[in-house]
Amino acid sequence: MDDIILRTISRLIIPFIEIYGVFIILHGHVSPGGGFSGGAILGTSLILYTLVFGVEKAQKKFSHKVSDIAESGGILWFILIGLVGIFVTGYFLTNINAGFPIGEPGLLLSAGMIPLLMIGIGIKVASTMITLFHTVIEEAHHGSA
Amino acid sequence: MIEQLPILNLVLLLTTALMIPFTQKISFKTTKLVGFTVLLTVLVSTLFILLHVQSEGAFYYHLGGYPSTIGIEFYVSILSAFFTLFVIALGTLIYVYSTRDIEHDVYAQDYGRYYTLLFILLFSMLGIVYTNDLFNTYVFMEILSITTCSIISIKRSKKNYTAAFRYLMLNEVGSLSYLFGVALIYMVTGYLNIDLAAESIQQVWHLYPANIVIALGFMIIGVSIKAAIFPFHIWLPDAHSTAPSASSALLSSIVVKVYIIIMIKVLLRLIGIDILEALNIPVFLTIIAASGMLIGSIFALGQKDLKRMLGYSSIAQIGYIVLGISLMSSLGLTAALFHIVSHGMMKAALFLSAGAFIFLRNQRAINGFNGLGYQMPISMAVFSIAGLGMIGIPGTSGFISKFNLGVAILDANQWFLLVILIMSGVLNAMYYLPIMINAFLKDNPEKNRVMQFEKLPKVMLVPIVVLGLMIVLVGLFPNSIMSYIEAAVAMLLA
Repeated sequence: MDDIILRTISRLIIPFIEIYGVFIILHGHVSPGGGFSGGAILGTSLILYTLVFGVEKAQKKFSHKVSDIAESGGILWFILIGLVGIFVTGYFLTNINAGFPIGEPGLLLSAGMIPLLMIGIGIKVASTMITLFHTVIEEAHHGSA
Repeated sequence: MIEQLPILNLVLLLTTALMIPFTQKISFKTTKLVGFTVLLTVLVSTLFILLHVQSEGAFYYHLGGYPSTIGIEFYVSILSAFFTLFVIALGTLIYVYSTRDIEHDVYAQDYGRYYTLLFILLFSMLGIVYTNDLFNTYVFMEILSITTCSIISIKRSKKNYTAAFRYLMLNEVGSLSYLFGVALIYMVTGYLNIDLAAESIQQVWHLYPANIVIALGFMIIGVSIKAAIFPFHIWLPDAHSTAPSASSALLSSIVVKVYIIIMIKVLLRLIGIDILEALNIPVFLTIIAASGMLIGSIFALGQKDLKRMLGYSSIAQIGYIVLGISLMSSLGLTAALFHIVSHGMMKAALFLSAGAFIFLRNQRAINGFNGLGYQMPISMAVFSIAGLGMIGIPGTSGFISKFNLGVAILDANQWFLLVILIMSGVLNAMYYLPIMINAFLKDNPEKNRVMQFEKLPKVMLVPIVVLGLMIVLVGLFPNSIMSYIEAAVAMLLA
């Protein structure tokens, strides 16, 4: 898909999509959205990149190795935060009682561990979407070759 | 500290699954050893939980410290403690077996993926057994069915893809059907916690009998599709026969049983016997169980492929378990829960020894077993023990479960079910005995009747032998397990 309009427009638009994704991930606890929807938007930006510039270039931006780390890392981060609760209060995934700062309700820095969990979920969802898309494309390439 | 063990078990299994992708640089032997250590740790901790629950009584665990009205809750009763031990014990044996068998079945680049899936599978099964929350059960069910689907398709052949796709589609229908049932229960009671929902159902079911019947119908059908209860079994023979041998053992002996545990929880802990009988549910269960017992066996008779035959035999045996549940008496439930354990061991032994025949001789056809008892004496002996257990010969665990089931049926005064039970036993004999007779009494094509020592790798042989010994030991000393099962039944009926 070698088209100058497509390439220029995508180059312009992808950073904004990514910022919007990060915004939704970080504001999961105060506004609609959260880790899953924000991660999906982040993933979509790289899918758009793959569509316009091809898999080879996209693989350089986001290789299988990175996706392995991101996918396992997202859940491991979640588990790690959950374990804090076990050590402090004796219950897995305890929020405020485990010492996470409650902040001022309604502001960005609030709700204790929820924003931290959302970051983990966002990373996991984004990398899963990209990996799924890349895997489907690679299988199609192998099939035709 | 003991209260933390259930969640730590889950976390340990999940973390292991997630760490496997990072271990590509380390030799695969080390990874397998680490996985084995993890499983042993979980096994020891489930054993501790069982002993603790037996002496101190059941306990609750609240995730995040939220009260059970809004939070997710684990209920570690004798039922869940015992069945997690059962799941992990069989899982560990199958894991040991799979470490060699996998080389035969799966491409080298997929080894890591296979073990990631295996650990997530065990993780979700433990979660299902521990949880006391209807929606949380659904989440674990989804994880379980998606990993099962991938573990079937990991062999990367056309047959596997077809079987896995069929499995995925039917199980998705099952999951959604269960979820719909949960939604209807939530509509009536306002709770997802099983204990709280059960309390309000007891109070209001007179007002909403239709709601409860519809919800229960959706939930039973959803779980039945996943547990391959007749007539929702059509995915099982394909899926179980094409999967790698170790996975077939895992699917047939544990995964299907976990769904039956969900069914027991929904029927007895959520609804309760009085309401079930007032709504006439046991009759329907009896009908599907009895027809499954006969039709599964009849289909198994016609199979030419060993693993497909074992798959159909599972359908018949699940019919036995459902029959025990449908009697709605403490005797029937004891027989059903005992048969979950005993069928788990027997089917695992059968699938693992069938995997051994495939591993060494590439032998899957039922009529190719002539004289195999001389070349593979140990695995054929275990196959025969497990097969005799399926028929119900005294001395095996299968006899004890059939005997208990027979007693429970007589206690309920339903003699026609006893006739079906005996007919199903005869049918079992008709398809298991010829294999044993051919293997031990007939000449093989080379007329070579010299007894050989088994050439199977030791890591594959040990689990098979352990399972064979367990079948005989449980058959001879059933009280070792029976005390736990009776305590669990007393808890369910209280």
